[in-house]
Amino acid sequence: MSRIGVFVCWCGENIARTVDVVQVAEASLQFPGVKHAAHYKYMCSEPGQSLIRDKILADRLDGIVVASCSPHMHLKTFRGAAQAAGLNPYLVEIANIREHCSWVHQDKAKATAKAIDLVRMAVAKVRRNNALQAIKVPVTKRALIIGAGVAGIQAALDIADAGYEVVLVEREPSVGGKMAGLSETFPTMDCSQCILTPRMVDVGQHPRIKLYTCAEVESVDGYVGNFKATIRQKARFVDIKKCTGCGECWNACPQKKIASEFDYGMGNRRAIYIPFPQAVPARPAIDKQACLKLKKGVCGICAKKCAAGAINYADQDQLLEEPIGAIIVATGYQLYQISAQQPTAELSGYGEYGYGQYKDVIDALQFERLVSASGPTGGVIQRPSDGKEPKHVVFISCVGSRDNAKGISYCSKICCMYTAKHTMLYKHKVHDGQAHVFYMDIRSGGKNYDEFVRRAIEQDHARYYRGRVSKITEENGKLIVRGADTLAGTPVTIEADLVVLASAMRPATGSDDLARKLRIGYDQNGFLSESHPKLRPVETNSAGILICGACHAPKDIPESVAQASAAAGKVLVMFSHKEMQRDPEIAKINESTCSACFACVRTCPYQAAEKADVRDRAGNLVKRTARINQGLCMGCGTCVAVCPSKSADLEGFSDQQIYAMVESLL
Amino acid sequence: MLEQKLRQTCRELLANGTVKVIIGYGAAPAGQATRAVFITTPEGVEQLVWNDRCEANLVAYLKRPEVRALGKPAIVVKACDERALVVLQQEAQLERANVFVIGMACDGIGAPREAKCRSCEDQVPRFCDVVLGEVTKPADAASARWDELAEFMKKSPEERMAYWQQELARCVKCYACRQVCPLCYCQRCIVDKNRPTVISTSPSLKGNFAWHVTRAFHLAARCAGCDACTRACPVGINLRLLNQSMAKATEENFQCRPGTDPQAQPLIGNYATGDKEEFIR
Repeated sequence: MSRIGVFVCWCGENIARTVDVVQVAEASLQFPGVKHAAHYKYMCSEPGQSLIRDKILADRLDGIVVASCSPHMHLKTFRGAAQAAGLNPYLVEIANIREHCSWVHQDKAKATAKAIDLVRMAVAKVRRNNALQAIKVPVTKRALIIGAGVAGIQAALDIADAGYEVVLVEREPSVGGKMAGLSETFPTMDCSQCILTPRMVDVGQHPRIKLYTCAEVESVDGYVGNFKATIRQKARFVDIKKCTGCGECWNACPQKKIASEFDYGMGNRRAIYIPFPQAVPARPAIDKQACLKLKKGVCGICAKKCAAGAINYADQDQLLEEPIGAIIVATGYQLYQISAQQPTAELSGYGEYGYGQYKDVIDALQFERLVSASGPTGGVIQRPSDGKEPKHVVFISCVGSRDNAKGISYCSKICCMYTAKHTMLYKHKVHDGQAHVFYMDIRSGGKNYDEFVRRAIEQDHARYYRGRVSKITEENGKLIVRGADTLAGTPVTIEADLVVLASAMRPATGSDDLARKLRIGYDQNGFLSESHPKLRPVETNSAGILICGACHAPKDIPESVAQASAAAGKVLVMFSHKEMQRDPEIAKINESTCSACFACVRTCPYQAAEKADVRDRAGNLVKRTARINQGLCMGCGTCVAVCPSKSADLEGFSDQQIYAMVESLL
Repeated sequence: MLEQKLRQTCRELLANGTVKVIIGYGAAPAGQATRAVFITTPEGVEQLVWNDRCEANLVAYLKRPEVRALGKPAIVVKACDERALVVLQQEAQLERANVFVIGMACDGIGAPREAKCRSCEDQVPRFCDVVLGEVTKPADAASARWDELAEFMKKSPEERMAYWQQELARCVKCYACRQVCPLCYCQRCIVDKNRPTVISTSPSLKGNFAWHVTRAFHLAARCAGCDACTRACPVGINLRLLNQSMAKATEENFQCRPGTDPQAQPLIGNYATGDKEEFIR
């Protein structure tokens, strides 16, 4: 015989307005096994919780149902209250009569009847709950950070400064990411490199940061606290331990006209190169697509020039294993390709803007290099076609963003701000020049952000037109920009010398592949999914894997850095414990009925189902079976669905509980 | 003579100790299908027969503990039986090296010749340790494989429902279909599970529907099409139709023909980026 307590919450007016809570409490008393029923205005408040605690002790309750809000909101609260009164926390069930009932219904009588049914089901379930114990797993106190842009750098430094080891993996030859290539940053106009490069140096020199550049994560096995990451160290053809970074090699390399990735094709580099002078590590890499020695077996000048003997043309990719406890993904973004060719069928480009066709139509990151003191022109604004100083520059925002027809419905968030910044940088360098901006809306929420945009318009006299550009053509060395000013209701034609397109932010190439390797979610745009948009913004649905920066959604530097520190904080919380506690509401296999078909092993999205042997005391094989790794299982229930003999079941959501809930309604 | 060749092969296998038991077909009274025999001595091989009444899918015996207790077996299979063997292999139910497989080229079985044989695509087993005989009577067009199902699907949904209601009402829940199926190897069948009961065990129309539909789903992308269940059914329910409808769906949507590739992963529980997913949207 059960002794169940039912506690109905008013949630102030939220529930009580639409549900007759008194009636729900009275009706609950009639359900089999219910010993006590009460209602209170705020069950989650201290008096509400003490009501629960007191009743558990006074009536020796062996299970409780709280009829209140979503379990996402307060299940933990009420489990804590039960535990404080000596009741196993997993003997607490929530009947969600707010989100599932009062908030979505108007008719009080019907809503009350539904609330009673919801409580009835929860009572039927809690009667079959088992007292569970939290699962304890050991923690490897080392963090893997994937991507060494500003977010990855921040997270790495935070964790390393707190005393833990960090493995930082970067795909490019240098850390720094997109921010290293920016000119000045809004809204304070501090020089991007001036604020970032000291951090890059810190990362390179930190005794607790193990830095891999030219490297990618090949695979990740294991589970929270106990991952094993395999890292592919790609062939760099330069031994960075021997190399002193003297520069003899790249100054001698005869391949001079390779488009620089760091300059987005606005400048050139050699076949052996460092991406930019402040690179960390300040060690070159050889581009095997461009190197004459690697392609054709001729040349070899760099090896002759290298006094340290660091050049190794026979270098091969290597796979290295690292034990890891937690993972932060900070893979950042790339810009949407403006031209007609697109990587996927969902996206389409802007043939009408002539990007890729007219040399003087460039994207925002290319403009950043053009105005950067470290850029290919040394910060002198010269247009790409003939090197002339442009006197009229047109900036077009929302190129790709917020355009369902192009396949991207979201706002890229940072373009309004950097476009304003671009007009100012331009005006500061070309005093007699005129910046023109075509925009859809100006989105400048943020500390000192709107003031910044006003400054661009009022002090630096950028001309803003609310409207879209329909076509750009080239005539006599001028770009004819035809657009509309919808506020004035007139068409606008501008003869421009340079056009800068603020194209949309997209997740970095390969971030979807990485997400699949890590078994974390991503949305239809390829951005990685957080566990909860408000309450778990840097966590993913895979325990121990966190996200930060623009791989999650378009965001600017301050937000990326804040999120990186948040993710680092979450990792440090994990590392502050000797052992990790995991929720025991996970799958279990009935090994006596399991036929070892291993459908669950193939299906488990977390690779938590494993093949195992059952042996007798003498060590003889009795049978084979599937078994759940308690560290890995997230309790999704896929194995339960796929098991043909129903030998898999979910603790806390057993078939018996679910059937009992359904049967209680019949 | 093929039968002699089969006996000779089996005699050698037992004599040189390659296997401990032969699972094969033994004689039956005239007009009846052959029966399974389990031969453990070289002399016993005279009991083995091969004719067009070798209907049973002997692979089903491999899962039996009492057969396993006899030691390493050699098993006589037709191409359709062999597909079931391959599925067992894919599902980790047998170590292929622990079974010696004798494949028989098959002209079709049954009197009259069974429906599956008239549109048989394989006839000669492909993954056996030894294949005996040759095909002398090729099957009719393999394209006729779905004809019976296509004919049935021409009926309206109401007519089909009425058909199954009439047919499944006759089921006595003897579970012969399960017992003869080489792929029903669960140590505890879902129908035998209680707390909670998933499928009603009483031979009521509802429980019968739940049983046969669940069984068809559990065989989806696995059923070898040997039709052992259809032959075994004492009340003559055409279970072949249910299995075929699942087979056609998995073949058309996922290019899956069960048991034709020992290296392939089982379809259920596998994910490929090219999979159709319009039903999830």
